[in-house]
Amino acid sequence: MNLHTLNRSPADSRVYQQTLQAMGHDDQLLLIEDGVQGALPQLVRYFEDVEGRVYALKEDLEARGLLGLCADNVHVVDVDGFIELTEQADKTITWY
Amino acid sequence: MRYGILLLGAPYSRQASHSALRFARALVAKGHILDSVFFYHDGVYNAARLAAPPQDEPHLMDGWKALHDEHGVKLDVCIAAALRRGLLNETEASRHGKEGYSIEAPFALTGLGQLVDLGLRCDRLITFAP
Repeated sequence: MNLHTLNRSPADSRVYQQTLQAMGHDDQLLLIEDGVQGALPQLVRYFEDVEGRVYALKEDLEARGLLGLCADNVHVVDVDGFIELTEQADKTITWY
Repeated sequence: MRYGILLLGAPYSRQASHSALRFARALVAKGHILDSVFFYHDGVYNAARLAAPPQDEPHLMDGWKALHDEHGVKLDVCIAAALRRGLLNETEASRHGKEGYSIEAPFALTGLGQLVDLGLRCDRLITFAP
């Protein structure tokens, strides 16, 4: 199982399409930096193919005033949770 | 676990350097070993010894130095990426006939081979990009 991090909003960049194409069946996706916008109910539909495996970084949500506004099916994790995801994954792949 | 970090983003341009430093601090706080941070592409600017950010802003370079001093984290800077951006240590400055120098210890100019080695000896290599 691999972890993919994405730091671009699907509203700004199409790199999320490559991320989704590269994701395996049990891979997980962590939205960081501006990527956390993808966790909002208005944008989360872009990630419906990997529903249940989408995480968003709490500190980056908070910095943007978006904490508490995420879609229900997105898991919010802090930086310690980020580290735990990297512990569980064989590799971490960065998309930007 | 033994971790390595690859940092590709310039400080204060995008969030990559801040994200990497936050991750690095959390790693050592959690009891992991952070072997090295490898600065590559515009990430080499993190090593600029003359950086003087405003006092009320996070000082990224000092943050990296503190990780080295307190946790023995190696700070490796890609020499090819650094020299072409005007980042030279004293030895390279003298070799190229330049008066000043812009990188000093604990930041070390190294080659890409160090990055390959880092990937091989670490359990996890995490990239932070612009």
